Amino acid sequence: MNEATNVVLELLPHFEGYVYPNEATPQPLWSVLIVLYPYITGLVAGAFIMASLVRVFNVRALEPVYRLSLLTAFAFLLCAPLPLLFHLGQPQRSFQVMITPHLTSPMAIFGFVYAWYLMAVLLLELWFDYRRDFVEWSRRAGGWKGLLYRVLTVGVDDVSEASVDLDRRMGHLLSVVGIPSAFLLHGYVGFIFGSVKANPWWGNVLMPIIFILSAIVSGIALCVFNYQVLMWVRRRTTDIRCLDVMGMFLFYALVVDAGVEALDWIHRVYSAEEGFQMMHQMANEKLFYTLNLGQALLGTLVPALLLGTLQLLRRHIPELARRRIYFASAVLILVGVLAMRWNVVIGGQLFSKSLRGVMSYKMEFAGMEGWFMGAFLLMLPFVILTVLIRLFLPEHPPGGKTGLPDAAPPPRLASQTGAP
Amino acid sequence: MNRFLRLPPQILRLVLLALGIVGSYAVARHFLTPPSFGEYGFYRGAALGEVAARPAVLAGREACAECHADQVTQVAAFSHKGLSCEGCHGAGQVHADNPDVAMEKLHYSHCVRCHEANPARPKWHKQVVAKDHYPGDKCTECHVPHAPSEVP
Amino acid sequence: MKRPVTRRKLLGGVAAALAGAILAPAARAAKAAVRKVFVSSDAPKGYHPGDHQWAMAIDAGRCIGCGLCVEACKKENNVPEGPYFRTWIERYVITRPQPGSGESRGPAHVDSPNGGMRGFPEPPVPKEEIQHAFFVPKLCNLCRHSPCVQVCPVGATFDAPDGAVLIDPKYCIGCGFCIQACPYGCRFMSPVTHTAEKCTLCYHRITRGLRPACVEVCPTEARVFGDLKHAGPSDPIRQFYERNKVQTLKPHLGTEPRVFYAGIDKEVR
Repeated sequence: MNEATNVVLELLPHFEGYVYPNEATPQPLWSVLIVLYPYITGLVAGAFIMASLVRVFNVRALEPVYRLSLLTAFAFLLCAPLPLLFHLGQPQRSFQVMITPHLTSPMAIFGFVYAWYLMAVLLLELWFDYRRDFVEWSRRAGGWKGLLYRVLTVGVDDVSEASVDLDRRMGHLLSVVGIPSAFLLHGYVGFIFGSVKANPWWGNVLMPIIFILSAIVSGIALCVFNYQVLMWVRRRTTDIRCLDVMGMFLFYALVVDAGVEALDWIHRVYSAEEGFQMMHQMANEKLFYTLNLGQALLGTLVPALLLGTLQLLRRHIPELARRRIYFASAVLILVGVLAMRWNVVIGGQLFSKSLRGVMSYKMEFAGMEGWFMGAFLLMLPFVILTVLIRLFLPEHPPGGKTGLPDAAPPPRLASQTGAP
Repeated sequence: MNRFLRLPPQILRLVLLALGIVGSYAVARHFLTPPSFGEYGFYRGAALGEVAARPAVLAGREACAECHADQVTQVAAFSHKGLSCEGCHGAGQVHADNPDVAMEKLHYSHCVRCHEANPARPKWHKQVVAKDHYPGDKCTECHVPHAPSEVP
Repeated sequence: MKRPVTRRKLLGGVAAALAGAILAPAARAAKAAVRKVFVSSDAPKGYHPGDHQWAMAIDAGRCIGCGLCVEACKKENNVPEGPYFRTWIERYVITRPQPGSGESRGPAHVDSPNGGMRGFPEPPVPKEEIQHAFFVPKLCNLCRHSPCVQVCPVGATFDAPDGAVLIDPKYCIGCGFCIQACPYGCRFMSPVTHTAEKCTLCYHRITRGLRPACVEVCPTEARVFGDLKHAGPSDPIRQFYERNKVQTLKPHLGTEPRVFYAGIDKEVR
């Protein structure tokens, strides 16, 4: 009898202390795929919020990246359901979430929020912004591209003043509607975790707020990254004023996000509720590199210092250095926010609900939850974005003058710059 | 009607498209919702019957008593009366359905499993350190499992 | 000024009475329809879910940690091999404090080797150092406000009308949210069906008048099972409630479990 129990104990060596028997699985239930999903929707929400800064808050300096931000949001939104679909035990039944949505479950609103955001907000806003161009391009381009543009005009070819004015107003309205929609798209993901009272790492009221704030930070960083990479590929110069304004928003968003995350940490340490000791142990042992190094140091502190320095000393730092710093900060932030998603999702499963044990997790290479799948899902939106840019942000649009993101705005008088 | 037709063309097309999408969703939802859904609550009512339709694997003591009434009566008279037949003899539904199928063989571990001394066991439960109590592996040399109080 | 108020009140009263008279037959018809739905269930013939209220209680002081229940459950419900348990047993070993330390008790050691299925090995500390030691069988706590049911996105897990919390294996999409939401760790993702699984109170047995497998094989009546709608005062479960001061697990979470535990210690989570 003792031999039998000993054999089984040796098969499950990867936990210390006591874990519920059902928790002693080799892989956490929600693994890499569920880390990627909030990351991707966060990027979508953040990129969209950045685009809204142009339309809703009239930050003219960001005009060069307006279309790129929306296309980024679109490319990433298309990929967002993939990690969920791959993760489901029965993915062929996934449509049930739209047919019989259980409205007490935050996960049930996924289908509707996603459909609403994709169709009613993002696609519509893109369409209204592009409609005039679609009409022009469809007249000038041939072949399948011309057909595509013609289809996208929905058969309407009215480009009169009044019509274009209506497009602009609809775009503005959709941006206004889009901001709370973006908050809902990513906020509900934060609420999925925040609502789990069974898990003290997840279940607290700050979780949706932290998710939204870090989403905004990551989205702006992604736009900075994409803008600079695109201009580099096309051998054009980035608009430094645009980068400066993006850097400013990125800095303030990062400060607010870091502040709220710090508040969460301080509150946990101060109130030291049951399980705190064990979660502290878990965070120090299992999340040491991803939390302290990845999220806190490289993902938050270093970019905050870099961007803060630029805020204070912008006039004294040459343009090339500023461009490099913005790029470095954006990359660090993107890595840091991914680390944050990892720390939340995986961290919540590295300790037992018995509050007596911690588990370890070694990511596998192949398989549904492995490195390769993760890399694939992160690369795919960029591939889609490349296609979208070829179609909708062409360097040489068919006869048109619109769409080039680096079109230098006319020189402004100091009195005209209303943007902060 | 006139007001409706005076919508700008792009808005009109979009409204029609939206109606089409919502309409298709409504139709799909009507056809794809399982028939018994909502009968008792927010779930498929038929699931109750499906979960209840599993075949049993343990037969229960009443089933054993149908053929082995003597042994069941004997056990019930001594201190193992709370112990189910299937606790030692293994799951019995297969045997109850077809008596030609034999039950599990009995083994020393069946006794030791309950009666090995362990500080976490309540004091009123009879337990011994098996190695010290008896070096062999056939408890039935001295004990009668169906009538355990009759220890020689 | 009293008269207009009285007239208004009278008119209001008459209107209410009329409404009641009109609506009452409709309400009665609706209630009868619900009753009919309850009666025409798909459960085994003659079993009406609305007529039963199943309950389980655990008398931890009587558990000897033999693991017969864990084994019987695995057999009865075809639970997969490995770290997948619909029920399991935990052993708590609470040690004496270090002499002279001024502490009331030493650390608690908790273990559940393979869910306790083959019993338990020697305790991790010598017998002399043990202040208290006991076993606690664990299972689905049959919460009144189940967080697992609350978070299921498609309605695949539900509170049955007769008290069990069940999963519809044909409808579950395998998202795992219910497994994360259960505070008691009683759910798992089956590696075979890729859907969630949990203790069903042996629904297929209790609807046929049998007892759950774990209750059937328990040699010491540590698991007490009964139908609260048909349990007389001498029924074991009623006796349990009468005799024992009870606890529930993690009461601060507000799940209001209907499984009561007698004889457990503050260390039990």
